[in-house]
Amino acid sequence: MASRPTVTIISPDGKPGEETHPLPAVFKAPIRPDIVQSVHTGMAKNKRQPYSVSEKAGHQTSAESWGTGRAVARIPRVSGSGTHRAGQAAFGNMCRSGRMFAPTKIWRKWHQKINLGQKRFATASAIAASSVPSLLLARGHRIQTVPEVPLVVSSKAFEAAALTKTSAAAALLKAVGAGPDITKVKASRKIRAGKGKLRGRRYRQRRGPLVIYNPEGDGKELVRAFRNIGGVETSSVYALNLLQLAPGGHLGRFIVWTSSAFAALDKVYGSTTTPSALKKDFLLPSALVANADVSRLINSSEVQSVVRPVKGGARIKRQQVQKKNALKNKQVQLRLNPYAAAFAKNKLGQQKREDKPERLPKEFIEQLTHE
Amino acid sequence: MTEITNVSADLLWELTREYILVAIQLQQMLMKWTIPGHQNAFLVKRRTGGGVQFSRDPLNLTNKHSRKYAGFVNDKAYGLTPGKDGSILALKKSKSANKPSKSTSSTSHGSGKSNRSFYKSVAGATAKQGYRADLRGEAVARASALKKANRPVKDSPTPKLRGKKALAKAAASKEDK
Repeated sequence: MASRPTVTIISPDGKPGEETHPLPAVFKAPIRPDIVQSVHTGMAKNKRQPYSVSEKAGHQTSAESWGTGRAVARIPRVSGSGTHRAGQAAFGNMCRSGRMFAPTKIWRKWHQKINLGQKRFATASAIAASSVPSLLLARGHRIQTVPEVPLVVSSKAFEAAALTKTSAAAALLKAVGAGPDITKVKASRKIRAGKGKLRGRRYRQRRGPLVIYNPEGDGKELVRAFRNIGGVETSSVYALNLLQLAPGGHLGRFIVWTSSAFAALDKVYGSTTTPSALKKDFLLPSALVANADVSRLINSSEVQSVVRPVKGGARIKRQQVQKKNALKNKQVQLRLNPYAAAFAKNKLGQQKREDKPERLPKEFIEQLTHE
Repeated sequence: MTEITNVSADLLWELTREYILVAIQLQQMLMKWTIPGHQNAFLVKRRTGGGVQFSRDPLNLTNKHSRKYAGFVNDKAYGLTPGKDGSILALKKSKSANKPSKSTSSTSHGSGKSNRSFYKSVAGATAKQGYRADLRGEAVARASALKKANRPVKDSPTPKLRGKKALAKAAASKEDK
């Protein structure tokens, strides 16, 4: 690595400050949507509450089959007489008031075990993807007014409980260019379709920026300041969650880093060679090639200086060309018969034969005309 | 300057396509695997029209979902969008990819400009400065379409009367005299 790229630290008023910070090594982690997606699928399952139908449902009757010979189906039927219920079919999943097919059980496999290494890989990958503006745009974040990605805001804005009010937090986000993304979230709020409305999930909306802070440097007061801004989430840099870094398994969450959280990333993740200070036995996954731009590799002077010259020269295969008559078109004729040039130049076609042709022998003609 | 070298435009396209063939790093380019369900926010899919795929990207000249025209993926991209009061905004991506607020420059072309000079400037911005020569045709076509959309629609001429109606009208005008 020649020189580590640096990121400008944005001052709280939204202007790029004097300070810069070298890009933490985690941003060089390979971006692997397949790993992120599979880990996300597993993690999304780990907060589920078990549910099932009652164990007794559909079986609270003493029904018995009538057997054959009564000209009715052999399904169990409710015993007794005197009510309409008597004689009705029971128990089966096709019956009214019967149990459901394959009743759900609380001992279904609700949770997924995910390998720790994969979880760490996915998190690192999601962080790396959050520094690519194209991926943020593809996820739908409005980042046109953001001065720089990754967006690092100076911790001076948060130090010593400087930011406790939501109005101040909203003003800060607007100043650093995250305003359009919050507006997008606001506009996207819709009433949820279905029963979820009754179960405490009344609205659905897009996700806005994720504010990542360092509880040691920034304090925790900012969490309260940000929590009532729609779509904005906060997370400690020491407890990053893939469900927030790549919602829906889609890479490229818009992240607002505080500068002390950004500085802590190298401590949290280490690098490809120095192990993480906080995660046991963790080295960052490394990309196997530094530059994946294949055309740039191929056209680089290092490669071009050692390849052998092209054989045969450039040739374009032409399709659907009009066929030319080689007897009339001189150029086409020459391509087919290079000798034609010399033949025409020496006027061999016009030359008279100097020697007379020999007559055929008499015997030969006789033999031909014999029959 | 922030430059993330291990992400190329080709890779970005692969990452954001609908069904992606992930070609993450050179070695992994050999083993491609498909991951369904990958979307991008600009993509518009319809079942009609043979499953057409369009793009809402402002930096896309044809509104088609394709590698060549994807503005958010390519390092260099050119777009034309309608502006205020019949003007047309020309968007262009500049070099500072990691600075979204500076990465696109926009020029407003007012409605007073003649078509020819407008097309000339569009062609110049794409091809002549060695920016994206492959987009010249599409850019001029879009410029022309936007210009056309800005022109007021002329009323169709009233049809001439024929046959009996024409005779009746002629007779009526004679009587008036």
